[in-house]
Amino acid sequence: MQRLTSFLGYTGAVLTSVLMLLMPFVLFGLFTGAVARTGVRVDPVYSGGEPADTLARDGYAIVVNHPVRSRAPLAPPAPFVQMTWTPAAALPASVADTVDVDGDGAADLVARFAVPADTSAPLFVDVVPLGSRVGALTHASRADLSGMIVRVGGRILVRAPLSRR
Amino acid sequence: MSGTAAPDTLEPGPRSIGRSLLLTLPMALWGLLMFSQTLRVPGSAPKVAGLVVFLFMTTLFFLMMRTRRTYRWRRIFFVSVGFLFPVHFIWDLIALRGSMSIPVEQMVGGNTPFCFLAIPMMIVPAALTRTLIFPGSILPTASNPHAVASMVALWLAATLVLGKGWCAYGCFFGGIEEGFAALAKKPRIRRVDPRWRWMPWAVLAATVLLSAALYEAVYCTWLCPFKAVTEFPEVNSVTSAVQFAVFMSLFVGLVIVLPFLTRLRTQCAFFCPFGPFQALSNHLSVFDVRIERSACTDCVTCRRACPTMVLDEKSVEKGRAGMSCMKCGACVDACTKGAVRWHIRGTPLSASSETARLLYLFPAWAFATLFGGSIIANTLTKLLELVL
Repeated sequence: MQRLTSFLGYTGAVLTSVLMLLMPFVLFGLFTGAVARTGVRVDPVYSGGEPADTLARDGYAIVVNHPVRSRAPLAPPAPFVQMTWTPAAALPASVADTVDVDGDGAADLVARFAVPADTSAPLFVDVVPLGSRVGALTHASRADLSGMIVRVGGRILVRAPLSRR
Repeated sequence: MSGTAAPDTLEPGPRSIGRSLLLTLPMALWGLLMFSQTLRVPGSAPKVAGLVVFLFMTTLFFLMMRTRRTYRWRRIFFVSVGFLFPVHFIWDLIALRGSMSIPVEQMVGGNTPFCFLAIPMMIVPAALTRTLIFPGSILPTASNPHAVASMVALWLAATLVLGKGWCAYGCFFGGIEEGFAALAKKPRIRRVDPRWRWMPWAVLAATVLLSAALYEAVYCTWLCPFKAVTEFPEVNSVTSAVQFAVFMSLFVGLVIVLPFLTRLRTQCAFFCPFGPFQALSNHLSVFDVRIERSACTDCVTCRRACPTMVLDEKSVEKGRAGMSCMKCGACVDACTKGAVRWHIRGTPLSASSETARLLYLFPAWAFATLFGGSIIANTLTKLLELVL
């Protein structure tokens, strides 16, 4: 019995070295692919959710994502909808767009923001709700994940809070 | 413990230079394979850095072979990684963003580099909703090469190979406190209540549960001392100012002051939730550290040498290090009686400790060269680019 366990022990030790040799060439790629294939995705509270609709405007587009509601059992952040103005370079100096966030054909909000030529300048957004579905934002910038405006790459992202219903 | 033959309690003196070189050869070839990739990178700085790190890692391994000692040579590598990683990381952040803070644009853009410390907190939400509570990206992108899948894959592979040895050969933070612990010749604080060793388990349980409840990586958001030398949320509110103050206080206390006063890796021993999480994987590894009771004189040298207080009276009595042993080799090197031994599960305690050490060191050092070595090489490249 001792011989068998010793044999298994040394075999395991040698296999450890073999695994190590395989790590950069086989294991790393295999495991990376396996993690990706699990279908996990970044929490929409961070990623902003999946696109639901694209609204064409004059020279640019607004991508409206599905509403995001945190699944946190404790102290969840307010639900929000993320809208992306793209490309930022094609936007006028001042934007005022009405947006239908739920695709029912009726406008839900008006988003207003200035687009400074300096891409590092801070952005501020006003969101005026046109109904009870969306919450208001006044001169909001970047402090809250549920209500903010930021420039990411060549796009401008606006998140407007939704009612908790 | 099993076995009938008397163990080779006292190892012979230094190994001959010829045998040491022969044992170093496989590791030198591995190093060549790893760092030959720097030849393809344009510019002389990466090539010089690759050569320097190749020589550094190979020399340290040779010294491990020659002296039959592990800890002090591993520590040189580990402390180098610990101090150079933040340099490399902060350098990249300053170049990319002009600041160490994570602007919200980076978070919603999925550009936050992923850190292995977040892994335990992500498991429950990922299992329940298939979402990761981390503002990074799943696969590497041009703007975020440190994606979740890559880091998890690296950690998984390393865990299969090293078990808890990750904390002695893989963690790029532990070297900072190990460096500060090494600065003091003698501990100023000699008696630390061993019950503090349960603290990381409590931190692990609390952060896992809170992360599942709040859907955010609570340890990263509120408690990680290493945010002080990597990146932290932009300070633009009272909440973020408190977070920043907590990060700095914990870093100064647990990573600088207490290691210096106790000569222990205090953050690892008494706070880090990843340590106990990784300890669970120690059962996957065939390598462990055992104590030959018949050779032990209860001199407590091994207990004093352990940087994370894993060895205590009970474990010495039982003849094996606790499950949180990170296999750094400090206790084995410190024992003058040869009673503390490297061991392969299933083999008798009388089996050669040195054989077990070699069989562990080859994969452990190969991983260290691959991962930590590349961190050192990348940082050196940046520093050399200033000069060359």
